[in-house]
Amino acid sequence: MNGHPTREEDFDLYALGALEPEEKQAIESHAASCGECARKLAEEQGRIALLALAAPLVNPSAAVKQRLMQQVRAAASSHGPARAAKESDRAGGFFGRWWTAVLVPAGAMLVLATIFLWNENRQLDKQLADLHAAMQQQQQQLREAREVADLISSHDTITVALAAQPGMSGGAAHVMYNSKMGMLMYEGELAPAPAAKSYQLWLVPAAGNPISAGVFNPVSGQADHWMMKLPQGISPKAFAVTLEPAGGMPQPTGPKVLVGAVS
Amino acid sequence: MSSETGAEVRASDAALIERLVQRDEAALATLYDRYAGMLSSVLNRILRDSQAAEEILQDIFFQLWRTASQFDASRGSLPGWLLVIARNRAISRLRRHNPAAGDELNENAVALPFNFESAMAQQQLLGRVKGALESLPQEQRAAVELAYFEGMTHSEIARRTGDPLGTVKTRLRSAVETLKRTLQPMMSQGI
Repeated sequence: MNGHPTREEDFDLYALGALEPEEKQAIESHAASCGECARKLAEEQGRIALLALAAPLVNPSAAVKQRLMQQVRAAASSHGPARAAKESDRAGGFFGRWWTAVLVPAGAMLVLATIFLWNENRQLDKQLADLHAAMQQQQQQLREAREVADLISSHDTITVALAAQPGMSGGAAHVMYNSKMGMLMYEGELAPAPAAKSYQLWLVPAAGNPISAGVFNPVSGQADHWMMKLPQGISPKAFAVTLEPAGGMPQPTGPKVLVGAVS
Repeated sequence: MSSETGAEVRASDAALIERLVQRDEAALATLYDRYAGMLSSVLNRILRDSQAAEEILQDIFFQLWRTASQFDASRGSLPGWLLVIARNRAISRLRRHNPAAGDELNENAVALPFNFESAMAQQQLLGRVKGALESLPQEQRAAVELAYFEGMTHSEIARRTGDPLGTVKTRLRSAVETLKRTLQPMMSQGI
């Protein structure tokens, strides 16, 4: 145990949730003051958390995201009235004459009512526009999710790893491609392209010229990811990423940065 | 399943968390699209109640929105944290007690050396984890599922199955060892 009042396997069982309450408490107390055990515990929790992926896929209804975003907006706007009240307090000293006691409140109420109604109207318009946009976005997401699911689940889909070429700046990518569907999904990470240059992905068919499958300019530290429709029925022998003039070229002209042969 | 397709450049979780701290609603929407399906699946598996699962799902992402500034990406993985919180809350709901006090972002560093940020990576992991679980002997797999998805302790599993406590402990330890061995190559590759 090396001075640690816990056994290694107890971290696994803690993460799995199988320990009795007193055993769980003992591990938590120890990890709170032991950096090494806290690190091991974090690793085991991460490893065991992967079991969640064995659950059958159940997508939440679109209403959950809508309610979440409404909740976020409501939380943000709840700070507004307090701020308005403070500003109102500051403005109060300007009106000292007796008649202002009658006219100013009446005028203020009229102005407030007008602002309230105008604001209500504007908010309703905005909510309507938001709902419309959310519906369109959800329909688009549904279409895209179906395409991704079809691509991934199809037995005809191939996955090709693209490896960095000697002398290039490194990077790696994967391509999933289904010839019958004409669908391609790219995911990869490359260093940003030099000035006035772009990367371009190519499908290299068994016969004929390479076909462009996307022009992209990576941002440092971020992966690129997209799906693309290509003509159906093309049998690829390889995929490659080349460095081209900004905006891409009809056919590859620059050096190969990543290459992956179809096995 | 992520919906980030087209030529859109994918932002990393860390970059999106930074944007959450700046109160960027679009960043929250992106993280939701990235991980809601994964969390919804585990919540539904544990609770078998879609309404309760959706309540917890919304609550987790709202907590992320409120406390994003406390999340330190260098200390842990966002999907790991989300999965642990989702599982803990679902088990708490199942067992009718309040969520554990240790739910706070800064108290739950969960190390998860996998790339979860893309639909493809999530699908690859999903297939391998299911395969690893299915490769276990039936009684080991059942014990793991009772612990992870039903929130049962050693002794509760022994009572449920009628097996001796020692047998249950041995099964769980063997199962976890096998899972670790099976998943280790993925961890080495950082998939």
